[in-house]
Amino acid sequence: MQEIIIDISSDGEITIESRGFKGKVCLQETQFVKDLLGHELASQLTPAYYETNKKSIKRYLKLCG
Amino acid sequence: MSHVAKIELEIKSLDALIQACQRLGFEFVRDQKKYQWYGRWVGDYPLPEGIITDQLGACDHAIKVPGCTYEIGVVKRNSSYTLLWDSWESALRLKIGQDAGVIKQAYTVEAVKQDALLKGYHVIEKKTDTAIRLVLSR
Repeated sequence: MQEIIIDISSDGEITIESRGFKGKVCLQETQFVKDLLGHELASQLTPAYYETNKKSIKRYLKLCG
Repeated sequence: MSHVAKIELEIKSLDALIQACQRLGFEFVRDQKKYQWYGRWVGDYPLPEGIITDQLGACDHAIKVPGCTYEIGVVKRNSSYTLLWDSWESALRLKIGQDAGVIKQAYTVEAVKQDALLKGYHVIEKKTDTAIRLVLSR
């Protein structure tokens, strides 16, 4: 499931997480929230960012027979 | 999770600020040009960036907080709004939190909900002890 999660603390600190997106689309999907609220102070990419939606094809080589 | 970002808030939407005041039980007074404060700058807290002492006490709109004598000034600066208040009054400090965090929290919730719903997101709001979580999905 693809979600944007925004945590707003009572001291006004805002953290945005994108979950379930693969690749750069997570940045595009959250951009409207960033534009709406102000400007980005810091950002951290997670391993899913480097994944793509392309299916990988596994090829097996016959080693015997 | 694919990325995490921290955001510095700018108050850009007056509508969302009005909604935030309603949410908190505060009164937003449109076009009130002065807000109640001590009336003289004594240098006991830092001024917001770009604000000079002569500007204190003047505003474009004001926010009245129940049980407080002092008010919050809403000052338009370019495309955003700055909040000004005198933190000397302890009742006001308690109601709006450190650095007006309680107002900023309510504003953020209202601004995101308004915009996300317009963009077709389903929004769920969850409250924890110290934070409000918004979950946007579609």
